[in-house]
Amino acid sequence: MLYTRNDLNVIKDEIEFIDTAIIPVVDIDMDSISVSRAEQIEFIQLIIMMLEKQLKGRLLITPLFTVVGEDVTPVKIYKNQLKEYGFKHSIVLSFKDRTIEDTPLIRMNHVPISDMDKDILEAMVKEEMTKVLKEIIRIWNS
Amino acid sequence: MCLSYKYVKKFVEFEGGKGMSSKVTRRQFLNYSLMGVGSFMAAGMILPMGRFALDPLFKDAAAGSDIQTSIKVSEITEEPTKVDFTYNQKDAWYESEVTEFAWVYKEGDKLIALSPVCKHLGCTVTWAGDDGNPDKFFCPCHNGLYTKDGNNVPGTPPRGPLDQYEVGEKDGFVTIGKKFENELVK
Repeated sequence: MLYTRNDLNVIKDEIEFIDTAIIPVVDIDMDSISVSRAEQIEFIQLIIMMLEKQLKGRLLITPLFTVVGEDVTPVKIYKNQLKEYGFKHSIVLSFKDRTIEDTPLIRMNHVPISDMDKDILEAMVKEEMTKVLKEIIRIWNS
Repeated sequence: MCLSYKYVKKFVEFEGGKGMSSKVTRRQFLNYSLMGVGSFMAAGMILPMGRFALDPLFKDAAAGSDIQTSIKVSEITEEPTKVDFTYNQKDAWYESEVTEFAWVYKEGDKLIALSPVCKHLGCTVTWAGDDGNPDKFFCPCHNGLYTKDGNNVPGTPPRGPLDQYEVGEKDGFVTIGKKFENELVK
C-alpha cells in the first residue's frame, strides 16, 4: 500500500494484515555528489514500485523520507508514530548505514543507472528488489 | 431570394447582355456566399460533434484486442508459466508502459490464464512458492493458498478465487485479453 487516499482507507480497516511499514530514507544534500544521490533516488523509486506490486497487501511504503545531513531524529519520530498507529514492523530502506534505534535497516547497493539499457536496468532492479524482499521476509519470520 | 419580378426585370434590363454572371444580383450573391460560409461553419461544428459521438464505437475494437506476448504456445505445459504482457496505461495526464503477467498453463488442449493478484489485499502470488505446497499458488504476504484452478483454499486469508484472463493464440504466440471473474471454480 502507498500513502494515498484509497490505500490509507483500506489500511484503516486492515491494519492487522498490513502490519509492516517501509520507510525509504534518502539524502537530498546539495553538494558535489548530489548527482549520484539523485540517481539513488531514481533507483529506489523503481525498487519501491516493484516491491509494492509484490507485497502490496502487507506493506505500507511511506513517501520518500528525505534527510539533510546526519540528523535522523525525524525518522525516529515517524517510526514511533507508525508504531502507535498499529504497525508491528517498521523497516528503513536506505543506501547507507544509519543507526535508528529498534529499527531494522535494509541497506541497498547503489547501482549506477545512467545510460543503462532498459532491459539490463530492469534485471538489476529486479535483482536488488529480490534481495530486499528476502530481507523483509526474514524480518517477518524472525 | 424572393426578389420581386419588378426588381429582377429592372436589373436584367440594366445589366442585360453581359453574360451569365450578370444575372446574379448583389443580394443573391451575398445570400449565396453567406450560405456557403455558414454551411462551412456549421459543418466545422457538427462534424467533430458527430465524431465524438461515434468515437466509443471505434475505440472498443482497439481496446478489446488481445495483447500479444513473446511466449510460444508450444512452450506452455501443464505447469503454470509466467507470461509477461505490456500495455500502455494512461493515468490522468501521465501515460506509462505497464508490464504485468499471468500464470498460463494447459488443461488438456485448452489454455488457461490466471491473474497473479491475490484476492485478499493484492499481493502477487507465485506457483509452488511454498515448499510445503508444491502444487498450489502461494501468497507470501499472509500465507494464502490457491489450487491450480485458482480456487482459494479455505482456512487461508483470501476471500475469493483468482481472476482469469481471456487467453488465445496468434501466430503460435500466447495472447492475453480481458480479465474476468474465475469461471473454473463453481
